[in-house]
This record gives sequence, structure tokens and C-alpha cells, in this order.
Amino acid sequence: MSALHDELKANAAGYVLGILDAGERRVFEAHLAECGECAAEVASLRPVVGALATAVPQVTPRPEMRDRVLGQMIPSGASLSSLNEARDDPERVERSGSIAWLPLAAAVVVAAGAAVYAVRVHQQVADLRGQLVQAQSATSVLAAPDLARIDLQGQVVAPDARARALWSRTRGLVFSAANLPALPAGKVYQVWVVTAQAPVSAGLLVPDISGGGTAYYMTPQDIGAPVAVAVTLEPAGGVPAPTGDKYLVGTPAPGV
Amino acid sequence: MWLLAALARMRPAAQSQAEDLDCLRHLASGDQASASALYDRHAKPVYSLILRIVGDEWEAEDVLQDVFAQAFRQAARYDASRGPVAAWLLMMARSRSIDRVRSRRSRPEAQTSDDEHAIDEMPGSMPDAASSMLDEEQARIVQRALGALPSIQRLVIELAYYDGLSHREIAERLEEPLGTVKTRIRLGLLKLRDALTEARI
Repeated sequence: MSALHDELKANAAGYVLGILDAGERRVFEAHLAECGECAAEVASLRPVVGALATAVPQVTPRPEMRDRVLGQMIPSGASLSSLNEARDDPERVERSGSIAWLPLAAAVVVAAGAAVYAVRVHQQVADLRGQLVQAQSATSVLAAPDLARIDLQGQVVAPDARARALWSRTRGLVFSAANLPALPAGKVYQVWVVTAQAPVSAGLLVPDISGGGTAYYMTPQDIGAPVAVAVTLEPAGGVPAPTGDKYLVGTPAPGV
Repeated sequence: MWLLAALARMRPAAQSQAEDLDCLRHLASGDQASASALYDRHAKPVYSLILRIVGDEWEAEDVLQDVFAQAFRQAARYDASRGPVAAWLLMMARSRSIDRVRSRRSRPEAQTSDDEHAIDEMPGSMPDAASSMLDEEQARIVQRALGALPSIQRLVIELAYYDGLSHREIAERLEEPLGTVKTRIRLGLLKLRDALTEARI
């Protein structure tokens, strides 16, 4: 044990610092599983390395950063008017099938990129970059090899509503709805990915004045395969499990 | 009076963590107020670490934005068993900052995907104690402890932690044998550990 152990123990600090290369790390982790001494050293050094993160001069970011960072938050139910124009003709969507959703996706990208006009050029560029991250996420869903398409039909409370969900386990959900009734005060639409186990909240949706809305949601990767996607009306802020009326429900198209 | 103010600032780590977890849960369903709360609580220490690593305000602001974007995106996947939220944010901040500096240096040998992911995947780099460390007074204590190390030990620790250099890269820079570098890092961290234990952090 000893020569090898000594050699490996010398890597304990590097392991905690995260600077071992992949090979060294694998070897050390295998050793760690069976060496109490090294495990104890690793455990005792973790708070020390954690402390290094704060052992720096504390500097408050410029106040403008707050808006810049929060402005990039995934808009749950972003109402992008350009999208609704593209979707105004329901027949076109019907006729051209999934192809019609490609311009829609492109519109997500364009609208996301064009959404922000900051005063400072520096800030503007960075803001656009933040929007682009989101746009890239949306486009990456569409490029996903495991893409599933789910069309949703309006239910009794909203027979004219319709929506389409494009879901990838690894890349998230692009959701687009039309003809949703206006939200009552204090309410919000919530989008659910329904698995065999339970409905999983994808996020909230606030439609625009025409009842349309498109949003990108990151969904947990470890959920079961969706058996349905649904939209319910819930109290503002959303709920952990659906409680309200179902407005839209759809099941995966066979063979997709 | 000052004592009350000081006490008021000392929020128990467990409570902050519970609030953070709440935020992440709501964030996962798109709640904007949770995003603001998370930012307000953590932006300063996260930005400070980023600035220390990238050394440039302009770039630090970009990285700050990236880190929170990543946090917002991955809120649903955050695993509380891996450590406090504060630590998670700081870990992402460190990882992304180091990536940024590396791509700036554009040294291809430092950019294998293994290297880049080493820090991300490293459970050891989750600073368990960080959530109780965010107080600025405590930050100063850690800085003092770091400053009290023999300068060579301090240097190797800084190269490893803030620059993300591997043992081998540090050895090459300092023209020292690999084993010596490993020993210096270990002794430095152990000394730091003792100093912090003494200061009851």
C-alpha cells in the first residue's frame, strides 16, 4: 500500500483544487473509495478550498449589471408579436405541417436577438449575447436528434386554443400557443410535461393580447418519457402540481 | 448598536441555503422574482471571484452574466446533495472564469475537453463551507491567512485555484520538480486549514 498510497496522497490537494487531469482523477477517485486516510484529507481540505473562493477583494458589480443579468432570464411565455404574425394564418400551419414551425423558430431567434436596445454599446453587445444564449438554446432544441413533436388541442374551456411543443430530453422544450383566452387577474398559464409518474412543470406562459405566446423552457433531463403535454390555469407564480382547469392537452405524435 | 447590526448580518448558513433552494425551485418554473433574489444575494461574491480570476471588469461582467444565465437554465437540475447554492454559483464562476482566461491565452495544450471539464465535474471543488463564508469579515480572515503563508506556497495555491493550472503546468512555470509542486500545494492548504480552524471558520 505505502509507496503507491504516498504517491496518490500527494494528489489529494490537487484533487480538491480540481486541477488533476482526467486520468489522474480517475485513479485518485478509485483510491479514495478504499482509503479512509485520503478520504479524510480530502474532506478536511474542501472547506479550505471553498474559502479560497471568497478570499478575494469583495467588489460590488456596477448597478447596471443587475438589469443586464435579470433581463436575460428565460422569458416564460415571452410574447413576441413577430411570432404571432407568422402564425396568424392557421391554415398555413396546418398545410405545411412541421415546416411552418421553422420560420417560427427563426423568429424566436430574431426576436430574442432584437429584443434589447441598451443605451451603452458595451452593454448592448453583451445583452444581445445574453439573448443569443437563449436563442441558441431554442434553436438547439430544433436541431436535437431526440426531438419529439407534440400538438396540443384546446379543451372545453378553450376550444379554439392550440399549441405545439417541441421537446428534447437533453435540450429542453420550445412551446408555442395560439388563441388562449386572456388571463384573469392573479392567474397564469402553466405548461406541464406529463410523464407516466407525474406532471413536471416546464414553466409559465403569459400570452400576448392575441392569446399567443412562445417560450423556451429547460426541462429536467431525468424525467420519464412524456405521455402528454398540458397547459393549465394556475395562480400567479405557478404551482408545483397542476390544480386548475386544463386548457390545452396533447399526446406525442406516433412515430416521431 | 453596532453589535446588533453585526448580529443582524449573520444569517445562519442553513437559512440562506433554504431560501436559495426556494429560489431555484421557483426559478425552474420561470419565476422572475426568484431570479432577482438569487442575484441580489450572490452577485457580489460571485463577481468578486470572477474579477479576481479574469482581471478585467469588462470581461468579468460578461462572465457574471454567463454564470447567472447558466444558473437560471440549470436551476431545475441543481442537486442539493452536492453542496450549498452559494458554492454551486462560485464553482461555476471559477470554472467559467478559468475557461475564459484559457481561451484568451489560447494555449491549445491547456484546452483539451478533459481539462475543461475537470473543474466542472470535480466534487472536491464544491466549497462546502462557502455559504457561511460570504461575510466580508470572514473573507478578510481568509485573505489574511493566505497572506501569512510562505510566499511560494501561496503562489502555487493561487496558480492552482485562481488560474486553474495543473500540477504539471505549475511545475513548468516555476521550473520545479512535479513532486515538489504537489508537496508545496499540500503543505500550503494544510497550513491554511489550521489557520482557519484557529479562526473558527
